[in-house]
Amino acid sequence: MNLLIIAQMAVSGAMMGLVYALIAYGFQLTFSTSKSINFGQGELVMVSAFFSLTLLNWGVPYWLMVPGGLLFGVVLGLAVERAGVRLALEQKSEGWILLTIIIGLLFFSAAENIWGRDDRPFPTPISSDAMRFLGVSITPLEISVAIGVFTVMGAIELFKRKTLLGKAFEAVSADRDAAELMGISATRTVMLSYGLSGMVAAMAGILVSPITTVGPTMASALILKAFSVAVVAGLDSGFGVVVVGIFLGALESLTSFYLGSGWREAPGLILLILALAVRPNGVFGKASIRKV
Amino acid sequence: MLVVENLYAGYGTSKVLTGASLEVGQGRVVALIGANGAGKTTTMRAISGMLKPDKGRVLLDGKPVQGQDASRIARLGLAHAPEGRKVFGPLSTEDNLLLGAYSRLPLFFGFRSRSAPDLEKVYDLFPLLKERRLQSAGTLSGGEQQMLAIGRALMANPKIMLLDEPSMGLAPVIVQEVFATIRRLKTSGITLLLVEQFAKSALEVADYAYVMERGRVVAEGTPAELHKDKRVLAAYLG
Repeated sequence: MNLLIIAQMAVSGAMMGLVYALIAYGFQLTFSTSKSINFGQGELVMVSAFFSLTLLNWGVPYWLMVPGGLLFGVVLGLAVERAGVRLALEQKSEGWILLTIIIGLLFFSAAENIWGRDDRPFPTPISSDAMRFLGVSITPLEISVAIGVFTVMGAIELFKRKTLLGKAFEAVSADRDAAELMGISATRTVMLSYGLSGMVAAMAGILVSPITTVGPTMASALILKAFSVAVVAGLDSGFGVVVVGIFLGALESLTSFYLGSGWREAPGLILLILALAVRPNGVFGKASIRKV
Repeated sequence: MLVVENLYAGYGTSKVLTGASLEVGQGRVVALIGANGAGKTTTMRAISGMLKPDKGRVLLDGKPVQGQDASRIARLGLAHAPEGRKVFGPLSTEDNLLLGAYSRLPLFFGFRSRSAPDLEKVYDLFPLLKERRLQSAGTLSGGEQQMLAIGRALMANPKIMLLDEPSMGLAPVIVQEVFATIRRLKTSGITLLLVEQFAKSALEVADYAYVMERGRVVAEGTPAELHKDKRVLAAYLG
């Protein structure tokens, strides 16, 4: 019986963990092209989720809302790059750290003013009636999270490996100067990576909101764990964030079951500290995160 | 084809180029020689846009391009195989070559079939690269990386190619191979600006040469003329 509870907790936690992995993947996308990340990524998730909820309230059908929400995420990502990152990178300064945090705070205030401070339910046509597999119950909603995460990550990985534009991404990441000599505009590649990163954030928001509800504070809860996942996995391994995300999600849910939900945040933070102390490049990573 | 007029450039407060001028005509192989620190590589970088010149003009086909982004200048038909080769280490040899043709290939689909004839040409020139096509470029030897850097620049089908220190750090046998390649490219009619520390070898392949000292051109002429110049002879060809 005890084993069954552990399995149940691990499975439910793993689904949340995949959302952390997706957000962490958004960090990787921009880090690979520009060695910068959006510290306001959590707010992007939250604002995109609110926007998607608004679309639903306007009567837009769920399956049309999804591309709308994703597009909104792309726009937000591009806005962050333009306002917070580009100038700093051109001046080779680390100003993007503070700027992306500030833009995140602006998004947070905007969300509080536009949509209010309360957490709101996020309707979805996908059922949350539990199904049983080998005694472990799992809901179609949870499965949809997994499908959504793998679809988005898979599509972006395919793009990176199979298209010339995707290879240009890797070229900029490997050697920015040499990429420019090939006629690849590094600035535009970085822009594109922020757009994709914004789309990934929006997807995370759309996937997680039916489970957690939407509210301005969802940003900080998600971002810290996504950040732990990114640091523990390393900032250059898409496979790594999935593994670490699932692991952290499961660990978290087990912790809150056995020690009480007040301890929920502990495993992520402890993992973060351990990773920074023992393996600053991440378990799966090669690139150093020293700059971050 | 390429005209450089009175170019000034440097890094921060250190002024490297102090009025460099040169010219490369269509179908010509021009060498740029001189001691270390004379400003040869800086000249190349200032031409291709890796470095923004402080003053002076760079004309490509009569159009000024100085101060533009390197990616823009590359798309205008100038391919720069930089010092230190700078291949994309984590990517495969073939991906490196494909990226060389980036500015004239479709970005999503069909770029493989479109680039196939050019790829074949480069593989004909460097059969070794074909053997290594799936290997990541970072694991190639120095000589192979130099071939790749040249092949990658050729993939752009450039109007003019800038080749910076292709022999750097290579064993003498490999250096000979590199120069044999340059001779073959010359026969095929390439327009080339070549920077080389081995002045002798460079003059053997070049139609014309410039000698740089302290950021400007101090002598120029055909290889035969430079061989008669006692000062050049003593300093660089002795």
